[in-house]
Amino acid sequence: MPVFEQGYKHWDGDLSGHAWRWWTIARQGVRIAMQGWLLRILTIMALLPALVLVCVFVLWGFLEQQAEWALPIARMFFPSEVVADPAAYRIIVWTLAFHFFFKFELFVSMILVLLVGPGLISQDLRFNAVTLYLSRPLYRWDYFLGKLGVIGWFLALVAILPAVVAYLLGVLFSFKLSVVADTWHLLLGCVGYGLVIVLSAGTLMLALSSLSRSSRYVASFWVGIWLVSSMVAGVMTGIHGEQAGRAAMKAAVLDARQQPGNPMPAHIEQWRRRQAAEMEAYLDDWRPMIAYTGNLERVGRALLGVDAVVDRLADEVVGRRGSPEGRVMTRVIFSGPRFPWEWSALILLALFGASLWLLTTRVRTLDRLS
Amino acid sequence: MLFQLEKVTKTYGRITALKDLSVAAPKGAIGLLGPNGAGKTTLIRTLLGLINIDRGGGTVLGRDIRVKPLDIRQRVGYVPENECLFPGVTGVDFVRFAGELCGMDFDDAMQRSHEVLDYVGVGEFRYRKVESYSTGMKQRVKIASALVHDPTLLILDEPTNGMDPAGRDEILALAHDLAHNKGMSLIFSSHLLPDVEHVCDHVVVMNRGQVIQQGRIAELKRVHRQRYQVRLKEPPEEFIAKVKEAGCIVDFRDDLLEVQMNDGQDESLLWRIASDLSVQIRHLRPQRSTLEDVFLSAVAEVR
Repeated sequence: MPVFEQGYKHWDGDLSGHAWRWWTIARQGVRIAMQGWLLRILTIMALLPALVLVCVFVLWGFLEQQAEWALPIARMFFPSEVVADPAAYRIIVWTLAFHFFFKFELFVSMILVLLVGPGLISQDLRFNAVTLYLSRPLYRWDYFLGKLGVIGWFLALVAILPAVVAYLLGVLFSFKLSVVADTWHLLLGCVGYGLVIVLSAGTLMLALSSLSRSSRYVASFWVGIWLVSSMVAGVMTGIHGEQAGRAAMKAAVLDARQQPGNPMPAHIEQWRRRQAAEMEAYLDDWRPMIAYTGNLERVGRALLGVDAVVDRLADEVVGRRGSPEGRVMTRVIFSGPRFPWEWSALILLALFGASLWLLTTRVRTLDRLS
Repeated sequence: MLFQLEKVTKTYGRITALKDLSVAAPKGAIGLLGPNGAGKTTLIRTLLGLINIDRGGGTVLGRDIRVKPLDIRQRVGYVPENECLFPGVTGVDFVRFAGELCGMDFDDAMQRSHEVLDYVGVGEFRYRKVESYSTGMKQRVKIASALVHDPTLLILDEPTNGMDPAGRDEILALAHDLAHNKGMSLIFSSHLLPDVEHVCDHVVVMNRGQVIQQGRIAELKRVHRQRYQVRLKEPPEEFIAKVKEAGCIVDFRDDLLEVQMNDGQDESLLWRIASDLSVQIRHLRPQRSTLEDVFLSAVAEVR
């Protein structure tokens, strides 16, 4: 039977404009990605920290109102001066809550990008789908934007959206509009940091995806950039800290010989000075810049204003107890290396530029000989 | 006019793909013929506004190829030559997605996807992943995806490549139906002359980036008034000898004689010789150029 006997009917519906054509590509990519059960489970699990974040803000809201049921719970987590006057410490707690939320979500984001990203362009190259895209009413940038939108959708779902919802709930449960005046920059910081992760990780993954027709190779590249760079940075930072600690210990031994009347036992003083030197070395170290996620985290801390808040915490809360090591340790635990965030921003910007260059080089227009 | 190009030149480095090419084609089914490297694909990409031409200009469906490439692609369906697929989707989603890329909303695209898949004969295979399709099925889905937004012009680049004879016949029947019964204009690029002849009314022959012959196929396949095809019931040796004696040139292939006559001679000479020899003529007609003749002579002229 000839195939055309089924009949061909003309269609006279309306076609939409070009502006949102990229979103069609993004939506299709999300639909295909969501077919994987592993990704679905990870996405749901990635939302659990958002629940914790919301719980913190709700508890904090009730603590600010000195609700009786909230006080015993708050005393389990916060020092007494914070529980007594929570409004004075609001910005510290909110900032740190967002900081730790993003710290976890950054890790999850890297895994999500690993699951979603490798096939986005590599599979199109493998099946020659780029020709199909570009022969339709699309520009090449629509294609890139659509593919970036797939990664962006997942990262926004687990990082930006929960942060915004948690912020709004925090404001809602505080019952004070003055909270907005204190914390609005955090909302901007969260959205900004989320966009930095999306743009940086998204374009980098797309560039890697355009390098090979095999998703497995692309995934290997990504793991290399993410984990190997983190490991190298970790090892180098550790070596640097160890060297600084040994030097401090050596100096302490020499001091002990020159000042035999020091009341503190020599080995405790040596250990104390070694610890202090290691922590100081960690805070001043630039080596975490070698790690890709180290740079994202540094920019994130700058956008959320974490360092200033941690300094306040170290000086006003920990400092009152009179331990200088405690202040340094607070900075180490709640903040991180203090190298200039602009350096990290420059590295991310350079990676972004290189990714765009790679993308435009690898995914070419059809203006070439076949 | 379906499309009109004026002195278009396109170079890739030192290679000139289109050289001062001027061509105009009316609406209908246009065959694009030419040997490999003739510039057919570059011409198609020029028409779709996919490449930046060095010189010249033109219009497709009345729209300037330099100014409104997206507008042109919105109204054109293109079936590329090579195997290309949106990976990871079923046939119906493949076509639906192609419709959405052209600006259709989801529901329209889905409904239309089923319609065109019915039309091209994909049947229940539409619910299987396209990666698992045979070559013929992939070709049908590609055609369906080009038809989904009901284009004014459909461009088929080597659509029967790699297909089995039955599938090829169906694709040709489908292309013929679209062009002749459904009012859709068609550009059919192929190196298979019978395919072009079956589907198209008009042909553009290209070689080395230039148009070397174009026109209606019926006109190009002209009748040769002094060249006849003859088939006899009896062995033809004696008949051939007599015809040659009359000054004609005879070519005998299989059981068919091709007789080239001189000025002033006509088919009555053949009837008379047959009558004299008492042989029976079973077939006699003036010879026509085939599309193959037209193509080969055009290409030979350029060489």
